[in-house]
Amino acid sequence: MGETEQVGTGLRAELRAYVEEAFLYLHPDVELRDEDEFLALGIVDSLGFVELVEEVQSRYGIAVDALEITEENFGSIDALVAFVERRR
Amino acid sequence: MTTLDEDLRRAAAAAPGKEALVVDGGARRISFAELDAAAGALAARLHALGVECGERVVLLLPNGAEAAIAIYGTLRAGAAFVPLNPTIKADKLAYVLRDCAAAAVVTDAALEPIAREACAQAPSVRHVLVAPDELAAEPAGAGRALSAPPVSVDLAAIVYTSGSTGRPKGVTLSHANMTFAAGSIVTYLEMGPDDRVLCVVPLSFDYGLYQLLMCVRVGATLVLERGFAFPGRVLELLARERVTGFPGVPTIFQLLTAAGGGDSAIRELPCLRFLTNTAAALAPATIDALRAAFPSARLYSMYGLTECKRVAWLPPAQLDARPDSVGIPIPGTEAWIEGDDGRRVPPGEVGELIVRGAHVMQGYWNDPEATAERLRPGRWPWERVLATGDLFRADEEGFLSFVGRRDDIIKSRGEKVAPREVEAVLHALDGVRTAAVIGAPDRLLGEAIVAYVVPCEGAELRPAALRRACAERLEDYMVPARVELREALPTTPNGKIDRRALAEQAAFAEAVR
Repeated sequence: MGETEQVGTGLRAELRAYVEEAFLYLHPDVELRDEDEFLALGIVDSLGFVELVEEVQSRYGIAVDALEITEENFGSIDALVAFVERRR
Repeated sequence: MTTLDEDLRRAAAAAPGKEALVVDGGARRISFAELDAAAGALAARLHALGVECGERVVLLLPNGAEAAIAIYGTLRAGAAFVPLNPTIKADKLAYVLRDCAAAAVVTDAALEPIAREACAQAPSVRHVLVAPDELAAEPAGAGRALSAPPVSVDLAAIVYTSGSTGRPKGVTLSHANMTFAAGSIVTYLEMGPDDRVLCVVPLSFDYGLYQLLMCVRVGATLVLERGFAFPGRVLELLARERVTGFPGVPTIFQLLTAAGGGDSAIRELPCLRFLTNTAAALAPATIDALRAAFPSARLYSMYGLTECKRVAWLPPAQLDARPDSVGIPIPGTEAWIEGDDGRRVPPGEVGELIVRGAHVMQGYWNDPEATAERLRPGRWPWERVLATGDLFRADEEGFLSFVGRRDDIIKSRGEKVAPREVEAVLHALDGVRTAAVIGAPDRLLGEAIVAYVVPCEGAELRPAALRRACAERLEDYMVPARVELREALPTTPNGKIDRRALAEQAAFAEAVR
C-alpha cells in the first residue's frame, strides 16, 4: 500500500482513529504501523474482527460477505483502507 | 490400546506417510511417521534433561505442530501434559506451575518472556524448552527406552478449569479416562481414517485437545488453525482441505453464518460430513443458517464438562423433534438426574445431573475438598460418580435438557469464567472500592462479562482504563466486555451484593441496545 497515501487521506485517518479507539487502548505499549497485522500483534481477536466488520459495514454502507472476512481485507489498516476504497 | 501414546504409535505403523497434521493454512503438512518421530525426539530430550515418568510438563503454546508434538512427546516420556491458554498472564501461570509442581515448560519464542517470569516464582521448574528448536533431541540423549512405560491408570494430563472460588482447578485425567472418552466420541461421530477435521478452538481447551486425540486415535487428519479470526479463511480452508468435520461453539457458528451477506449460500462443500456444537446451545436461527449454508453436514448438539470431557450427544436426526435437548449419554456411559435428597427424579423434574463411566476424572489436583464435592460414592466400593453441578431435566425417553448452573460461573465464548477471579483483579486496582462481575446474555458471546465498579471517594476511574488493567492481568476471554461505574451496588436483605438484580439490569441494557 503506497507511501503516498500514508498521511492525509480522510479514510485512512478515520479507520486508524476507529482502531485506536476500539482496540488499541487495551495495548498501550504497542506502536501500530499501518502495515502491521492486527492478529499477529494480538490487538484484535476473533470477536474484535466482528466489531471491525460491523463498523465497516455500517459506516461505509458496504455489505460484507463471510467469504470476504480475511486477513487480506481486514488484517491491517492498509488492508482495511484498500478494501473500503475498492468496495464503497 | 490403553495409553494415548499407543494410539500414535499404531497410527504411524498403519499409515506412516498419511497426513496427521495440516498447519499454517496448508503450508506445512506432517505425516504420522513425522509426528511419531518428533514425539520420540522430544521424549528423548526430556529424558536427557532428567524429567521423570509421572512428572508434569506445562505446555504454553498456540495451536500448531509444536503443540501437538509437545503433547505426544510429553506422553512418550511417560510424563503428564498440562495445556494452558497462551494468553495466560505470568502471575496465574506461576500459580499453575506451583500447583502442579511442574518439572518443565514447553513454550515458543513469543511466549518465552512470560514463561521465564512465571518460572522465577515456581522453584519446581527445572527446564524451559523453546519451540521449535529445543524440541529435538541432542544426539546423545536419543533412544533410551522407558524402564517402566505408563499404563492406563497413570496420569496423562491435568486440564485447568475455572473454579467458582476464583482459583483454577486442575482436572486430573488418566490415560484410561482420555482413551475411553476419545473412543466413545469417535463412535457416535462415526469417525474413521478418511476424516479430515478442521480445529480452530485452542488445544488448551479440552474441546480442541480432543480433536487431536480423536484424529490420532482413528488415523484421521487434523487441520489445525491458530484460531478463528477470519471466517473467510475458515470457509476457504473447509473447501480447499476437503474438510469432513468442523467442531465449533455458538460464537463461531454465528460468525460463520451471520457475517455480512448472511444467507447467501456460502460455497459447495460436499465433503463436509458433520458439525459439532458444545459449550452452549445454538439459537434456532443459527441452526437454520447452518443447515442452509452446509446442507451436506449433520449437526450434533452436545454437552460436557472438563471433569468427564463429554456427557451427552443428540443424534442429529433428533434435532428437529428436540431442538433444546443435548441428547443422551455418550456410548458406554450413564447419566441421570437427582433431587436434593439424592434420589432420581421422574421425567420432567429438575435436578442435578450425575454422570457415571470410565471418562469421569480422577479428581482435582491437590484439592481433596473440591474433589469430594464433585466425586461421590458410586454403585461399587471402588467407583466414584461425577456430580456435575448443572441442573437438568429429562423427557420420558431420557433425552436431557440443560436448565441452569448451580454456581455463578459465566460461560462466555464457550469458556468458563469465575466472576471472583475477575473481581479480585478489579479489587486490587487503585481507586476501586468494590466490584461485582456478572454474565449478561449476549447474541455472540452467549454471556458477556459485565463488571460493575464502585469507585472510592474522590477516585477518578475510567471504564476503558479498568478494561485495560483487566487485559494486562487476565486471559483474553476473561476481560469484561463492558465496565460500568456505579455509586453503589444493589444488596440483598442480608447485605450481600445482589447479583440477580445486576444480571436483570444487564439483561435489560442488552435488550434495549
